[in-house]
Amino acid sequence: MAEPIVRIDHLNSWYGRGKGRRQVLRDVSLKLAPGEVLGIVGESGSGKSTLAKCVLGMVTDIAGTLEVNSPRPQMVFQDPYGSLNPAKTVGWILEEPLRAAGVTDRAERRRRVGELLPLVGLEVGHLARRPAQLSGGQRQRVAIAAALIQGSKLILLDEPVSALDVTLQAQILRLLAELKEKLGLSYLFISHDLAVVYQLCDRVAVMTGGEIVEEGDVDTVYDHPRHPYTKKLLDASLALD
Amino acid sequence: MKHKSWYLTIGGILTACMLAFTAAGLFWTPYSPTAMSAPDRNAGPSAAHPFGCDQLGRDILSRTLEGAGSTLTIALAVLAVGFVFGLLIGALCGYYGGAADALVMRLCDAIAAFPSVLLALVVLAVIGPGKYNVIGALGVLFIPSFARLVRGEFLKYRDRDFVRSARLMGVSDLRIIFVHILPNTWPTLLSGLTIGFNNAVLGEASMSYLGIGVNPTEPSLGYMLKEAQGFLFTTPWYTAFPAAIVILLILGVGLIGEGVRERMGVAS
Ligand SMILES: Nc1ncnc2c1ncn2[C@@H]1O[C@H](COP(=O)(O)OP(=O)(O)OP(=O)(O)O)[C@@H](O)[C@H]1O
Ligand SMILES: [Mg+2]
Repeated sequence: MAEPIVRIDHLNSWYGRGKGRRQVLRDVSLKLAPGEVLGIVGESGSGKSTLAKCVLGMVTDIAGTLEVNSPRPQMVFQDPYGSLNPAKTVGWILEEPLRAAGVTDRAERRRRVGELLPLVGLEVGHLARRPAQLSGGQRQRVAIAAALIQGSKLILLDEPVSALDVTLQAQILRLLAELKEKLGLSYLFISHDLAVVYQLCDRVAVMTGGEIVEEGDVDTVYDHPRHPYTKKLLDASLALD
Repeated sequence: MKHKSWYLTIGGILTACMLAFTAAGLFWTPYSPTAMSAPDRNAGPSAAHPFGCDQLGRDILSRTLEGAGSTLTIALAVLAVGFVFGLLIGALCGYYGGAADALVMRLCDAIAAFPSVLLALVVLAVIGPGKYNVIGALGVLFIPSFARLVRGEFLKYRDRDFVRSARLMGVSDLRIIFVHILPNTWPTLLSGLTIGFNNAVLGEASMSYLGIGVNPTEPSLGYMLKEAQGFLFTTPWYTAFPAAIVILLILGVGLIGEGVRERMGVAS
């Protein structure tokens, strides 16, 4: 197997200081191989977002091994209303990561934005608009484009389709799958929706109370859950269908 | 529901008229503001002197034009001092937080606990009157309220996802503060600026009225009101016209501020 793009070994993490210091992640271990999609499922508050933040270096109070072998991993957030700057145009939002990466030539930035647009299903006409003038699905496409434009290969997706309705969900999931193939990306895909995880992910890790209680191929875990918590999650999601 | 706001329109027109009046006064007055003319003493409004004349026979329109220019310049300078420093302090405190923020805000609270005009009065009584002293004293005392306003806005935005993702992309903190967050705060800051402007106009007028503001050689509207008060019954126009200009200016800017707040309320 190639060197993993993310390797986490016995990771613990805390929030707060002094008396308020509270442990969130407990002894978490996982690996993400290049080109792989790993799903993280679990109830609200189980530490899924915290795990993603650790990978991004946004949580500093940690102990254990955390190796990220990919420059500038990026995140796509759940709420496309909050993740795009309301005061800026789409064109500006997509050029800004390039500016930050030191691409000073405006024509070069425009060219790279223009190349990426069709890949995420946006048109040149969208560039002059502000986020408020886009639909939820279009906003999420902009957020995905912004995460990709610096050429990052590791993308963390924190409930990227939860705020969208079902048809849009399917479209964005298909887009994510296509982008992964075309650009050779790896995803850490966080969701509380087991059906969505099934569509996109190769492997899945089940979290509860800050621990990973089960991890394996999506098919294996879904067909033969070993941990009672996984069984409970699966039963709950079946009951919804 | 289509709610058409007239605040911005009326406020805009009123402010534009007042600014035009003031700007005209910077370049042109019908008479010299200091020229005295014995036959015109205490003359009422007429075609030759639309605002009438004062007890020394000076043309009140000319004096009002000059006074308005002086008042506006001082108010804008006060606003600039308060706003620039308030913006810097508020933005840094709001964005970084921490112990320095707590300390600075405690200090601001302490200063803001007193009415700024009252404090400015005390300061001016110590350092003496004059245009620049008024600007300095009022300007510095306006800093805390701006700082708090700006800080509140930055607190609101610093943990938004778009700010986080800018950090992930390697955008520098200063650029996040001034290029990413600041443009989102303009509506609130603008509304704060209109209030600040009016307080500055009133502050300057109060200082000058009390005789610790501008020097008699560069009279402002507040200084004129002070001069006029002894003649309120013999030459009421001497009080009326400068007072009307102050009131209309404040009203116009106040309406703009109200209109901006209303827009924001509708938008969010
Ligand atoms: N910045 C923070 N400071 C302190 N505690 C936090 C912070 N962020 C999250 N927590 C706490 O850490 C725990 C895990 O939160 P986390 O956001 O990782 O959960 P999650 O699995 O992503 O939940 P959800 O599905 O609701 O997004 C929760 O108990 C939460 O209250
Ligand atoms: Mg979460």
